Amino acid sequence: MTNQAATEQGTEKLLIKHGVGGRTFVDSSQDPEIQYRVEPDGEGWLFTIGIAPSSAVVQILEWRQELNVFLFRDYPNRPTVKCWYYVLNGPVEYHRDREELVIRADSRIEYVPDEF
Amino acid sequence: MIRVYPAESRHQVDRGWLKSRASFSFGDYFDSNNTAFSVMRVMNDDIVQGGEGFGPHPHSDMEIVSVVLEGAIKHQDSLGHTVITRAGGVQRMSAGRGVIHAEYNASETEPMRILQLWFMTDERGREPSFETCQYPEEKLSHGLLPVVTPVGGAGQTAIHQDLTLYLSRMRAASELHHKQAEGRSAYLFVIEGELHANGETLREGDAARITRTPELALASITDSFFMLIDLP
Repeated sequence: MTNQAATEQGTEKLLIKHGVGGRTFVDSSQDPEIQYRVEPDGEGWLFTIGIAPSSAVVQILEWRQELNVFLFRDYPNRPTVKCWYYVLNGPVEYHRDREELVIRADSRIEYVPDEF
Repeated sequence: MIRVYPAESRHQVDRGWLKSRASFSFGDYFDSNNTAFSVMRVMNDDIVQGGEGFGPHPHSDMEIVSVVLEGAIKHQDSLGHTVITRAGGVQRMSAGRGVIHAEYNASETEPMRILQLWFMTDERGREPSFETCQYPEEKLSHGLLPVVTPVGGAGQTAIHQDLTLYLSRMRAASELHHKQAEGRSAYLFVIEGELHANGETLREGDAARITRTPELALASITDSFFMLIDLP
């Protein structure tokens, strides 16, 4: 689990936003308590996010079919790379006993805003 | 029932390059009692200054319609489209399983005004797609002109939802009627002018959310330009 992973060339952060309107529910760079990992899961990806019970978790579960999940990778000498993950049917679940939010994403699109 | 939402009740954003008025929760504005009407989720009235716009960002599972009122919008997306839609045109993006897009004022100098509307899709996980059309502006004064429909056609864009978006211009002191089938809703927005909807007065920028109203009588007080959406 990591918070703001140091990649070979830069840093990475996790963002979870509402797909309608863009409210930010999670920004790992703003909350050092948030730990996460991302693993391949069949043809998709599984996010496991350590996060204490909060209104953000409630909102994520309420809007589970309208989430924008991102990994932003910032580099010192080249443009930011954004990877957006599509969550169709999830699951999107919160395990209160271990304070873990689990999100399964079905597909992803990587893009470089500066080169779009 | 006709519930009128005055223009000034919209949430206003002024970023210099962007002046936006949101009829539903959007961005920093969140009101849990104002997140939707029927399948409508967003209705932003945006004025974007020349050379400005919205950089690349993703969407999924929303039907996004932009009605261009002034100027022109340049749309680019990860599907490979680069398209300019001018005033008198409408573009529709079905975000489906995901699309990255950017949209800019196509002019470096002149402002652009669009109504951007987001609707829930009738089925999640569709293939994303994009379409644009120019509607015959001379027909705006012939009644309700459908410009977004479930099936599309000449001068229309097709949408993955059971709705029809009409535009219309009325001369002062004229009237037209719209029948609302049982269980259907309607959204009315006055782009220009002033009109009465079953006796309720709506001025420029005002909207009405209409339910359980079998017949809607629209009477123009002044020359008017408006949008009516027939919704499930």
